[in-house]
Amino acid sequence: MSDLDEKNEPTTRSVTVTEGEHDASDWAEFRAQMREWREGVERRLPPWWSRALAATLLLIGIVLPFLFSADSGFLNATIIAVAYAVMSLGLNIVVGFAGLLDLGYVAFYALGAYSWGWFASGFFFKAHVHVLVSPVASTLPGIHLNVLLVLAAAALICAVAGMLIGLPTLRLRGDYIAIVTLAFGEIIATLAVNGTSISLGGGMTLTAGNLGISGVDSPYFPGIGVFNELNLRPWYWLIFGIMLLVLFVNLRLRDSRLGRAWVALREDEVAAVSMGIPLVRTKLMAYSIGAAFGGMAGAFFGTYFTVVNASQFQFGFSIFILGMVIIGGLGSIWGAVAGGLLLGYINYYLIPDVLNSLPSKLGLNFQLTEIEFGIYGFLLVIMMLLRPQGLIPERRRRLEMTGRVAAADSELGEPSAITTLDLAE
Amino acid sequence: MSPLAAVRKFVGRWGLIVALAALPIYYGVRDLVHGYEAGFVAGHPVVHHDLTQLGFNFATGLSNGAIWALIAIGYTLVYGIIELINFAHGDVFMIGSFTAVGLYTVFGLTSAGTVGIVLGLLATLVITMIVCGVLNTLIERVAYRPLRNAPKLAPLITAVGFSFILQNVGLLWRGGSPQSVPDLINQGKTVFHIFGVPIVRGYLLALGVMIPLVLVLGRFISATRMGRAMRATAQDPEAARLMGINVNQTISLTFLLGGALAGAAGLVYALFETNVWYFQGFKAGLFAFTAAVMGGIGNVSGAVLGGLIIGVIQALADSRMGPQWTEAVVFGYLIMIMVLRPRGLLGEETREAG
Amino acid sequence: MSATAASPPVGTAMHVDHVAKAFGGLVAVDDVSLDIPRHTIVSLIGPNGAGKTTLFNMLTGLYKPTSGRILFGERDITRTRPDIITKLGVARTFQNIRLFGAMTALENVIVGRHARMRTGVFGAIFRPPWVRREEREVQERARELLKFVGLREGNFDRLAAQLPYGDQRRVEIARALASEPSLLLLDEPTAGMNPYESDALSQFMRRMRDELNLTILLIEHDMKVVMGVSERVTVLDHGHKIAEGPPAEVRADPAVVEAYLGKQG
Repeated sequence: MSDLDEKNEPTTRSVTVTEGEHDASDWAEFRAQMREWREGVERRLPPWWSRALAATLLLIGIVLPFLFSADSGFLNATIIAVAYAVMSLGLNIVVGFAGLLDLGYVAFYALGAYSWGWFASGFFFKAHVHVLVSPVASTLPGIHLNVLLVLAAAALICAVAGMLIGLPTLRLRGDYIAIVTLAFGEIIATLAVNGTSISLGGGMTLTAGNLGISGVDSPYFPGIGVFNELNLRPWYWLIFGIMLLVLFVNLRLRDSRLGRAWVALREDEVAAVSMGIPLVRTKLMAYSIGAAFGGMAGAFFGTYFTVVNASQFQFGFSIFILGMVIIGGLGSIWGAVAGGLLLGYINYYLIPDVLNSLPSKLGLNFQLTEIEFGIYGFLLVIMMLLRPQGLIPERRRRLEMTGRVAAADSELGEPSAITTLDLAE
Repeated sequence: MSPLAAVRKFVGRWGLIVALAALPIYYGVRDLVHGYEAGFVAGHPVVHHDLTQLGFNFATGLSNGAIWALIAIGYTLVYGIIELINFAHGDVFMIGSFTAVGLYTVFGLTSAGTVGIVLGLLATLVITMIVCGVLNTLIERVAYRPLRNAPKLAPLITAVGFSFILQNVGLLWRGGSPQSVPDLINQGKTVFHIFGVPIVRGYLLALGVMIPLVLVLGRFISATRMGRAMRATAQDPEAARLMGINVNQTISLTFLLGGALAGAAGLVYALFETNVWYFQGFKAGLFAFTAAVMGGIGNVSGAVLGGLIIGVIQALADSRMGPQWTEAVVFGYLIMIMVLRPRGLLGEETREAG
Repeated sequence: MSATAASPPVGTAMHVDHVAKAFGGLVAVDDVSLDIPRHTIVSLIGPNGAGKTTLFNMLTGLYKPTSGRILFGERDITRTRPDIITKLGVARTFQNIRLFGAMTALENVIVGRHARMRTGVFGAIFRPPWVRREEREVQERARELLKFVGLREGNFDRLAAQLPYGDQRRVEIARALASEPSLLLLDEPTAGMNPYESDALSQFMRRMRDELNLTILLIEHDMKVVMGVSERVTVLDHGHKIAEGPPAEVRADPAVVEAYLGKQG
C-alpha cells in the first residue's frame, strides 16, 4: 500500500469557487495570482508576525480613546461598533461554528438589555436590592446590581433562553431552523412590546413596552465612579474589555474538543454522530454560549443607550448581525470581529454622518439613511454571489481555497471522492 | 408499547389538530356558556349566548385566510421544487398591493362607475399578477439560480437581501406609515346573512378570487405538460432532467405562478383592508409561510388549508385576545407544528427521524 | 419478536435478534438474526438493495428497528442513540466516504476520539494542565493511528477533501479506530480499489483483528476479499438472510448463487 503513495503528488492547479453563470476563467486566474502574491508575502514575513500584529492591534485598541476627545462622535460610533463585534462573535458560534441558521438573535439583545433594565434601575420599584453600586444609586428603589453582576446575569439568562429556543430546532433541517428561530425572535419582541400588560404584582410589569425603561443605571466601579455621558472613554474600555473576554473564550473554544465537535456536526451530522458526538448536548451548547455573548452585548447596549425600549428589538436587527458574520467570514473569529466593526461603522458613522447627503448632491431627493435597508440588502446579495466565504475566511476554508486539488489516484484515474467544497456544505 | 411511547405517538398524530381545534372550541364554549356582549339596548349591554360571534370570526378568518392561502401557495410551490424558502415572497405580495393601488389612479377607478370599476379591477388584477410573476422570476434568476449548488444558507441570505431591497422600494414609494387606500368596492357592505353572521363584500371578494385561481392552478398542475414537468422536477430534478425536462424553465415557471398568485393576493388585500404599508409583506410572509408549513410544505391543497386555518386563528386572536398578541399566537402555532408534526397536516412522512 | 430474552452465547460481540426495518410500505430488512463472534472477521454480502447498509445503520443506531432486538455484548442497544453506541465500542466507516472535508486528516481522526475525551466547556476555556495533557495525548494517538493505517506524514495536515481516494479510505478507518472500538463495521471498504490495494486491506484487517483485538463486520462486494479474509459469511437478499457459514460453504449454496445470478432456466 505504501509505495503507491509516492505517485500521489499534487499538481499545481488552483481551485475555482463556483461563480455562477459568467465565464470564470479570467477572474479565476486573477484571483490565483492574488493568492500567490499573498502567499509570497506571508512566506517572507518572520514567524512571529501574527503575534506582533495582534499585539499592535491590542495596543491601538487600548489607547484609541486618547486619540479622540472624550465625547467624540467617532468614539461613540466605535463603542457601538465594538459592541456589535461582540454580538457578531456570539452569532458566529451558532451560525458559523455549529452551522445552525439562527434568524432570531435579536431575542438575546432584548433579554440582555432587559436584564440591565430589570437589575440595574428603578424599574422594579417595590424591591430594594443594592449590590456594589454607587452611593447615589444605593438610596434609590429598585434592584441595583453591580455592572459585572448584571453582565453575568444577562449571560446566564440568555444561556438558558438560548437552550430553550434551540430545543425545538434540534431535529429540523436548516431552513426550518431559520424560521423557528425567527418565530421565537418575534415572540420575544411581542412580549417586549406587550410587557406592559403582564403584571408581576405590586404594580410592576414585565417591561415598559414602547415607552421603555428609562433612567437605567450607568456602570459603577468602586474607585472609578459612575460612568456618565460626557466622558465616553470608560464606556469604551468596558466594552473593549468585554470584547477581549469574548474573543479569548471564542479562540479557546474553537481549538478545543467542543469546537471540533461543532464543525463536525456542521459538516456532516450523520458522520459526526456516528463518531460519538452527542447531537443534542453539542448543539444546545452552541445556542447557549452564542446567546450568552449576545446577552452581554445587549446588556451593554441597555446601559449605553440609557433606555430599554421595545422598539429597539426588531427582526431587522437579527439580519444585521447575521450580515456581519457573513460579510466578515462565516465561522471565522477575526472575520466576525471585522464584520461587526465594519458594519457598525458604516451604520453609525459612515452613512448618517459622512455620506448622508450624497444622494441629494447627486440630485436625488432622499437621504442616504432612507435607503440604508436597501443598501444592506444589496450588500448581502452581492456578498453571497461574489465572495461567499467573507472578507476573512475561516482558516479551514482558506486552506482549501489556496490548496491544490490532488492528482487522481494514479492506478484507477479516479478523482477524489469528495470534491473541493467551496462553502463546506 | 410502553405508555410513554403511546402518548408520544398520539401527540404526534393528533397533538397539532387538538391544539388547533382548542382555540375555536374554547371560545365557542365560552360564548355559549358565559355569553358575550353585542351592542347596547337602553344603556345596558346585550348579552348573547350563541355562536354568532364565533361565526363572525370564522367569516373574517376564512377571508383573510384566502389571502394567506394565495401567498402560501407561492411558498409551497417554490419549496417543493427547489427546497428553498423564498424569503422575498411576502415582499413580492407587498409590491403587488402597491402596484394595484397605483393602477387605481392610472385607470381612474376612484371616479368610475360600477362597470368601470369591475373592468378596471379585472385589468388591474391581470397586470398586477403579471408584474409580480415577472418580479418573482427575476429574483430567482438573480438570487437563487447562481447559488443552486451552494449550501442552503447562501440563497437564504440573498433572499433576505432581496426582501430588504423590496421593502426599501416600498418605503420610498409610499412612505413609512400605513397608507389608507380607496375602498373601491365598498368592502364592508353586507350582502347577505348566514345564521345571523353578516357576509360582507370583502369576504366574497377574497374567496371569489382565491377559489377560481386555485382551481385553475390545480388543473394546470395536474393536466398540462408543464404542470407535469413541475411535479416531476419537484419529485426528482435529476430524473426530470434525464427525461428531457428543461429544469431551469420549469423552476422559472414555478416562480412565475407563485408570484402571480401573490400579486392577486396583493390586490385583494388592498381592496379588503383598504390599507397598504411597506412592511405588510414581512408579516404576511411569515403568516403565509406558517400556513404552508401547517398544511404540509410542497402540497398546494395543504397551503390552501393552512392559509384558511391561519386566517381563522388570526381572526380569533385579533378579536378575543387583542391584535397585539396575534403574531405571538400564530408563531406559537408555528413552533408547535415544528415540534409536533413538521410534515404538516397533509404532508407525508418525509424522512427517518434517525 | 422473541418472547423470551434468550441470552446470546458467550463470546458474541453482537447479537441481532429477529430484526426488521420498514420504511412506510417498503420493507428493507425482514426478520434477520445473526451473531457476530468476538475476534472474527464476518462478511455481510448480498445483491444491491438487499438491506445490508440498512442493517449497518440499525447496528450503529442511525435507524431504529421496526421490530427485533440488538444486543451488544450484554447490553440492549436496540433504541440507543448513535453517539452512545460509539461510546460503548462500535465504530464504522461509510459506503460513500464521509470525512469532514473542511478538516485535515489529523483533525478528522482527532474528532473520532471525541467519545474518549473528557474536556468540556470549562476545560476548553480555562485549559488546566490535565486538558492540555489530554490534547497532547489525543494528537499523539491520532498521529499513531494515521501511521498505522499507512498515511504518509506529509499528508497529515492536508485537508481531507484534497486527499486521493485511497488515502481518504485510510483516514476514515483511522477515524473509526480513534474511538477505541471493540467492533468495527466497514461498509464496502475496498470499493474503488485495485487488486493490490484490496489485498493489502485484507491483510490490514487481519492485523487489526489481531493487534487491536477487534471484531470486524464488513459489507463487501469483492468476492476475492470476502473469500480470502472472512471467517464467516452471511448472505442477505431482499431483506432476508438466506445463508450463513464459512466462506466455502456459502459460495456453494444454491440459494446464494440464485440470488446473485437470478433463477437459472
